[in-house]
Amino acid sequence: MLGLAALTLATAPAFGAMESEDCAGCHSDRDSMDGKLFIDQERFAGTEHGGMGCTSCHGDISDQHPDDGLVPGKASCGDCHDQVAAEYARSNHGSSAACNDCHNPHEARGASQVSGYDMNKQCANCHETEDMTEVHAKWLPQAGVHIQNLPCVTCHSASENYVITLYVNRRAGGDAYGEFAPASHEELQQLSGEQDVAKMIDTNGNSFITLDELKAFNRDPRYKTMRLAGMMTPEVVTHDFTTLDNRWDCTFCHASGPAAMQTSYLSLPQQDGSQDRYGVEKGAVLHALYGTPDFYMMGATRSKALNIAGIMIIAGGMVMPIGHGTLRFLTRKNRRDH
Amino acid sequence: MKHTTKIYLTPTPVRIWHWLNALGIITLCATGAQIRFPEKVHLFGTFKSAVALHNTAGIVVAISFVLWLGYYLLVARSLVKLYVPNQEDLQHGILRQAWFYFFNFFRGKPNPHHTTPESKFNPMQKAAYLVIMMVLVPLVIVSGFLIMNIGPMREVLLLAGGLKLMVGLHFLLACSLTAFIFTHVYLATLGHTPFAHFVPMWTGWEEVEPSSTDAHH
Repeated sequence: MLGLAALTLATAPAFGAMESEDCAGCHSDRDSMDGKLFIDQERFAGTEHGGMGCTSCHGDISDQHPDDGLVPGKASCGDCHDQVAAEYARSNHGSSAACNDCHNPHEARGASQVSGYDMNKQCANCHETEDMTEVHAKWLPQAGVHIQNLPCVTCHSASENYVITLYVNRRAGGDAYGEFAPASHEELQQLSGEQDVAKMIDTNGNSFITLDELKAFNRDPRYKTMRLAGMMTPEVVTHDFTTLDNRWDCTFCHASGPAAMQTSYLSLPQQDGSQDRYGVEKGAVLHALYGTPDFYMMGATRSKALNIAGIMIIAGGMVMPIGHGTLRFLTRKNRRDH
Repeated sequence: MKHTTKIYLTPTPVRIWHWLNALGIITLCATGAQIRFPEKVHLFGTFKSAVALHNTAGIVVAISFVLWLGYYLLVARSLVKLYVPNQEDLQHGILRQAWFYFFNFFRGKPNPHHTTPESKFNPMQKAAYLVIMMVLVPLVIVSGFLIMNIGPMREVLLLAGGLKLMVGLHFLLACSLTAFIFTHVYLATLGHTPFAHFVPMWTGWEEVEPSSTDAHH
């Protein structure tokens, strides 16, 4: 309540103050606005903040702006996000980085609308990837693979659970041997031509991805420069950046079994910079071959069909000891004289 | 009392290799089971220790395989003679040996194959070991190496159809080798006494009956 009251006071617009459209008139012009003064309207409009309007945070702006020479104030993030701010202030990060060191308030979105790669970019601003790989390698096997394929917050937050999110990676510049990197909306649009980007995978356009659609995408030669990469992403991101005890134990992910692999999403970049999530058929990532050919997590993404095949092979090896051994026992008299 | 003679069948390097492999492969099977079913199998404590042991045993078996290949190819120079079935083996030997194992053995007839250091394996063994040592083991080693080095080997993995295919292949090959162990140990008891074939793999010397020898190793 106090937070809301403070926000109301802090953001109460001055009489006759500007509307968001007035602000956009200048601040969407990349040529005349430098650095942080430029606001990408398309990205801003898609955020929760965009819906609130500029003056919700910059309430003290006058009609004479910018001629009055005053720099408009801005609301504190904690005015609305008071619980998050309190949690963050208690964390190790609280004294090291302010909210907007990681979150651009004009582009900030909910966790499910941000890709794991983009989340990690914020972390890497201070924690360089190479250093982090080195630090983790002291105790974590395949540290490089983990660092590259997981959002940091999967382990460094108090999220109880995770889901699997699939992202489309693409060879740089479409080069047959280029490095894989997360594909941008523009790159995907280029490949999908006139049709909607999502239709490359969601061919029937029902916003739900079936295993058959995944298989078709993975086998389609037109999309050979693209691969689906899977990440374990937290459903809830907390700002305490704690590392729960179970994250030190490999079994948190690796012994979660195929049951934890049932829920997965496909996440596609949108024109406004956000990610759109599409539900994927239950258990699709467990398919042995073409569901997600590059996503495998030891101990969890095992295929039931392969397990059965393996058991049959081992059982075949027991045919000799059991079958032959039984006949051998029954015919033992025949060999007594020999 | 039957007259028997002793022949030096298994040289020391081969015996060391065999038991190192045996220990390594059993370790790989057991740790592999824990890695694939970590919520059900807890043989080696933590998941991490199972992975570490699996990787170590994998490297030991891989090196051991290379040494074995090098020994038979370059030092003993008997790889082809011992392991590759000849025309006679293919035309008659394999069938004759199968007929013995699945029919004549039960009737108490003698083994058609006579063990000598130059012909340690019967035609069926030759064919089986050729597939195991020249196909299954190299493939399980290569697939294991690729899975251990996902980052640097990414392009090779993509070329081969993806990580999941490679892991599936590695798993099925491992199951095949596990199946082989059961058959292998059982067949080793088919000597003129149940332990006749186990002794030479430890001491090098096998006691054979000159008139009706049979060998597994």
